[in-house]
Amino acid sequence: MITFNSVSLIYPHSLHTVFEDLSFAIDEGEMVLVIGATGSGKSSLLRLINGLVPHHTGGILAGDISVDGISTSLTKPGGLAHLIGIVGQNPAHGFVTDTVEEELVFGMEALNFAPDVMRKRVEEILDLLSLAHLRARSISTLSGGEQQRVAIGSALVMHPKVLVLDEPTSALDPIAAEEVLSILHRLVHDLGLTVVISEHKLERVIGFADRIIAISADGKAEIDIPEEILKRSPIAPPIVHLARALNLDSVGTSVREVRRMTTHLRDFTPLVTQSETAAGETVVVINELSHSYGEKLALRDISLNFRSGEITAVMGRNGAGKSTLFKSIVGFHKVAGGQIRVQGSDPVQLHGRQRLSTIGYIPQEPSDLLIHPSVAKECAASDRDNGLELGSTLAFLARLTPTVNPEAHPRDLSEGQRLSLVLALILCSAPDVLIMDEPTRGLDYQAKSLLVDTLVSYSRNLGKCVLIATHDVELVAEVADRVVFLADGDVVADGATLDVLLSSPAFAPQVAKVMSPAPWLTVKDALRGIAQATGKDSQE
Amino acid sequence: MKKSFHPLTWWSGAIAFAVAVSVAHHTIFNVVVVGGMCFLVYRVNRNALDRASWSGGLWFALKIAAIIIVIRTMIGVVIGVPVPGNTLFQLPIADLPDWMAGIRIGGAITQERLTFAFAEGVQIATLICIFAAATSLTSPHRLLRQMPIFIYEFGVALVIATSVLPQLVTSASRIKSAQRMRGVERRGWAGVALPLLEESLARSLDLAAAMDARGYGYSRQRSRYRREKLVARDLTIILSAVALIPISMVAFA
Repeated sequence: MITFNSVSLIYPHSLHTVFEDLSFAIDEGEMVLVIGATGSGKSSLLRLINGLVPHHTGGILAGDISVDGISTSLTKPGGLAHLIGIVGQNPAHGFVTDTVEEELVFGMEALNFAPDVMRKRVEEILDLLSLAHLRARSISTLSGGEQQRVAIGSALVMHPKVLVLDEPTSALDPIAAEEVLSILHRLVHDLGLTVVISEHKLERVIGFADRIIAISADGKAEIDIPEEILKRSPIAPPIVHLARALNLDSVGTSVREVRRMTTHLRDFTPLVTQSETAAGETVVVINELSHSYGEKLALRDISLNFRSGEITAVMGRNGAGKSTLFKSIVGFHKVAGGQIRVQGSDPVQLHGRQRLSTIGYIPQEPSDLLIHPSVAKECAASDRDNGLELGSTLAFLARLTPTVNPEAHPRDLSEGQRLSLVLALILCSAPDVLIMDEPTRGLDYQAKSLLVDTLVSYSRNLGKCVLIATHDVELVAEVADRVVFLADGDVVADGATLDVLLSSPAFAPQVAKVMSPAPWLTVKDALRGIAQATGKDSQE
Repeated sequence: MKKSFHPLTWWSGAIAFAVAVSVAHHTIFNVVVVGGMCFLVYRVNRNALDRASWSGGLWFALKIAAIIIVIRTMIGVVIGVPVPGNTLFQLPIADLPDWMAGIRIGGAITQERLTFAFAEGVQIATLICIFAAATSLTSPHRLLRQMPIFIYEFGVALVIATSVLPQLVTSASRIKSAQRMRGVERRGWAGVALPLLEESLARSLDLAAAMDARGYGYSRQRSRYRREKLVARDLTIILSAVALIPISMVAFA
């Protein structure tokens, strides 16, 4: 269906090639997963398929790509619209119209389909993606999962033979992601659609993939079945790391497989590991906090305390009130009811240097904080704002990620580098509370582990309070001491990470699912736990 | 869900109302029309499942209308020709150079002058509110879609261009508050403009790529999914709005 024949790509004003001599073929009805570190060219590869690269972005393409016998170098993306559907990372950025129905027909209208054909296809897609009840809704009022379904629907309505998805679930909560992925799975099986998908959170998609294309940093790529690729690839979901750490003969891609391979390890009774909590003083006090937007109640009588030296993860569905809670703590708005005190003062009243040394906030889009045209200037401004010696922020950044070029424009950095920059800017003033809203969006495993190390050392070594809102269960398992679970503006669970995560299978991390009933959340926990247990067994 | 009205219904109704209001030129009639419009928007939009970004238009317009009335009345009272009548109070007359002869600032404020200026203000405010109500009831985007096919092309382009606007406003306030949290307090719009510009450029590129990939502009001809039809309900509303014109002519002649 898709053939790449010795494809090389170089972007204008760039000195190195993105791909070199890439050749592979994808068959009809296959679901292929593209993996690689951020900046390795996953998006470029996906957009090569329908010719957006290089027709839309510029650049020089050598070699030949053909889809269903049509060469993309000779045909513009519009000419492939009936053949290839493409869904971007953030569905909201690709919507052209206001309402669901209009969005679905946009492509068909552009290609001059007859009205009765359009009507039939729209009904068919509305049913297929269970969007019928949303048909007249305006798109901006839909949830993230619904929006992503509309985006997929408007690609499918053209009856394409190939569907290309660039990180379709990165903006979604686990439940919405599950919903989108299971629809994709069904499409592959029912319609024989060829799907090419890229995704950072491998644990979500690995079970669906027939083959994997792994792009390495030097522009080489290999394509093989998941088991083979995952044996060697540095990018792998937690269960694969577990399998490697336990020296299993082969790696499995699903919890079930790995569970069956590790029965011998779960024979002994595991020790109950109690995580030590370094209880510090209370930094944030929230008393009966309520907040609403218009008629919609976002938070209902919430009382919480956050202490120093503790990392708390706030979890919950999209719209559960996580962001509102954080914005209230940060002092974006006066709270409608109740009281918030951060280090004894009202966050709305904090200004200037006092604010910087009390609250550090990193929003969902870290780049909102960046104003200056280069990394060095950005860091210098932060030195000035905090009254630090010139160059100290830059030095701090260099310790986080040595590879960042100080002369680069912040927008040209990779997602991971940009987050490091923002972390450096915020952390150099050593705020008592660090608040991060969805920090792992768009981060690869490498950037994520850097984030984990930074957060843990900031909280443990400096004894600061860290709050993160996230959907990422694996991140929570790695860093958090405590989990607060919000639903519909209420606190439904609040306790040690171990207790909260293990109490519900939907939120258990992969390692815990494999090792259940042993209370181990991460590969590290499991290794230590097994070592302790076997040590105990051999002593007896 | 109830089927919504034809996009043309409220707009033609609004034009008829505007004509009636201009013909009547009567303050109380104006207030009644605006009151009726507010009630209508409230009733129709209350049951709407989702509120599009336009539906708040009338409430925004009401605020602007109030400001217009105040400004128009003040200017009308302070500047201009004296209207003889029942003097309420006296303002000092400002000394103006010779070349501004014929213009007078200050002077006697008569009840007639006050009423006249106020009525003028209400008239302008009413016209604004009527069209704002139409906007609240029907998204202008839906109206554009009903245009004949040769305008339709252009309409689609316009819809795409304007749908970015509400997002820009949200992004601007998001960036501004994020920067305030970084301790940037006084940079004002200058610090927001750059990230905003970058974001909207990136968004436009994304959007252009998405449209390109979906075949926009590839085929020379463009078809249309659905033309809505005017039904009895729509016609009733339009006709009764039009009937108001002769009535107001007779009543306020």
